[in-house]
Amino acid sequence: MIELRQVVKVFSGRTAVDELSFTVPRGEIFGLLGHNGAGKSTAIGMMLGQVWPTRGEVKVCGHDVASNRRAALMKVGAIFETPVFYDYLSGARNLEILSTYTAPTPKARLAEVIDWVGLTGREHSKVRTYSHGMRSRLALAQALLPKPELLILDEPSDGLDPEGIHEMRQTILRLQRELGLTILLSSHLLNEVEQLCTRIAVLQSGKKVFEGSVADVKAARGKVALKTPDFKKAAAWLLERGLITATEQEKFITLAADRSTAEIIRALITADIAVEGIWQHEQTVEDFYLSLINRQR
Amino acid sequence: MTMFHAQLKNELWKLFGKKRTYIGFGAFLLAQTAMLLAFKYTRWQSDFERLLNGNGYLATEFISVLTVSVVMLIPQIMLLMPLYATLVGGDLVAKEAEDGTLRMILSRPISRLRLLFVKWSAGIVFAVVLVVALGLTALGFASLLFPWKGMFVFSPGQAFSVLSAHEGLMRFIFSHLFLAVNASVMVSVAFMFSCFNMKPAAATILALSFLFVSMVMENIPFFDRYENWFITHHFKCWLLIFLDPAPWSQICQSEIILFAVSATAFVIGAMAFQVRDIKS
Repeated sequence: MIELRQVVKVFSGRTAVDELSFTVPRGEIFGLLGHNGAGKSTAIGMMLGQVWPTRGEVKVCGHDVASNRRAALMKVGAIFETPVFYDYLSGARNLEILSTYTAPTPKARLAEVIDWVGLTGREHSKVRTYSHGMRSRLALAQALLPKPELLILDEPSDGLDPEGIHEMRQTILRLQRELGLTILLSSHLLNEVEQLCTRIAVLQSGKKVFEGSVADVKAARGKVALKTPDFKKAAAWLLERGLITATEQEKFITLAADRSTAEIIRALITADIAVEGIWQHEQTVEDFYLSLINRQR
Repeated sequence: MTMFHAQLKNELWKLFGKKRTYIGFGAFLLAQTAMLLAFKYTRWQSDFERLLNGNGYLATEFISVLTVSVVMLIPQIMLLMPLYATLVGGDLVAKEAEDGTLRMILSRPISRLRLLFVKWSAGIVFAVVLVVALGLTALGFASLLFPWKGMFVFSPGQAFSVLSAHEGLMRFIFSHLFLAVNASVMVSVAFMFSCFNMKPAAATILALSFLFVSMVMENIPFFDRYENWFITHHFKCWLLIFLDPAPWSQICQSEIILFAVSATAFVIGAMAFQVRDIKS
């Protein structure tokens, strides 16, 4: 659904996106991670034909965005970090206005999306009376209007309270489950990404530093939690024998290549060091992201 | 209804749904009230009567609704109309970019050129509505204090004309077509600046500066021979409609130039907007 090939964007001599390539296949929830200014919003801007790439090719729904923007965006919905509308008009009028930029939309479709996002009864109130959560729901409604196949969400939970974040997360899952949408999600909330996405790409200073599945990230081998009465002694003994390569927080050890937890247990017992527990540590996306970013620095 | 009409209708909803769109209408009402009272109760009216009597006309026959309407319109068109037309023209694109709604619109498959054309068309509709409202309110206010009689139009260096009530009304209505063109050009110039990456206030100020520099230079005697190069010179052709006979070749020339300026402003704005990156 999305294909970026060697995309470069330079703003007044500053490279915002550097040789970025990735593909988002149909039906996937793809997470785009990175610090502020990493190039996520610029990459999304290029997918939507709002930012022109300096070099490279951006394809959405099989169409080149630069040369055939209309076809590329016909079945695309997008939500940006802060939902902005014409505050002095009603929610329904806002949807009507935005729908005309895609294709004629029957009133029944407007009512359908209003109902889907749970704004029925408030659609004729002016948007200035809406809470942040209601604005987010209206943003979702406008994105759903063209019956999209691809949804691009740029920080959709930005500014929401915990309840709102939970609601947004459930909505995204519901969108994929019920409507079978492909979703590209850019977010700072790593917990959210972990719960929603099937694959992620991490950007740093405009460059992609990782792309892979969330399952792979979580199952990243090598980091093991070790519980022993004398962690320092155990760690020193294991390091000396080349069984591990690093220790962390007096709690974790990183296994050397081709070493297993069984070997660690055997070695510690041989050295008369008690082992109270040892288990594979399941890495969170947050752990992975932070260690990746720190490594890149 | 075609998509263009639907888009234009919605653009007008956006435009006329905003309170600031009505600032111009409100200012015109206030200015007209003030000028009407000033004309009626100061030396302004007696000076006017003296001018008519001095030229052999019976002043009481020509101090009328139509005469006073034009007297009220001249300064408003020179000073207030540019202000309010450029205020709206400067908002058309830049305000949406500033507010962030432009990014939402451009996540949809509408082309930038079409979006601009819809917005510019809405600006032209605003210009026409503003001029019609100006003319109607001028007539309405003037009719409260003055009778329907003959019309006398005087603008130094432009027009000195005496017309019957019927002929005067016809020409008064016709002159608004040309005033609408003037307002459209003002909107177009501000719209052009609005398409660049700048704040709406900056677009309005630049457009106003462009118009005022043109007006100031046009009035410097040295530039007399170059008056055709100044856009504000051509704005005055609406007054030529009241002359008998009307100098049609001069009027047509001015209108063609004004249409060309408007089209050029749109093309420059569209080119700038087309290559722009729209970011949050």
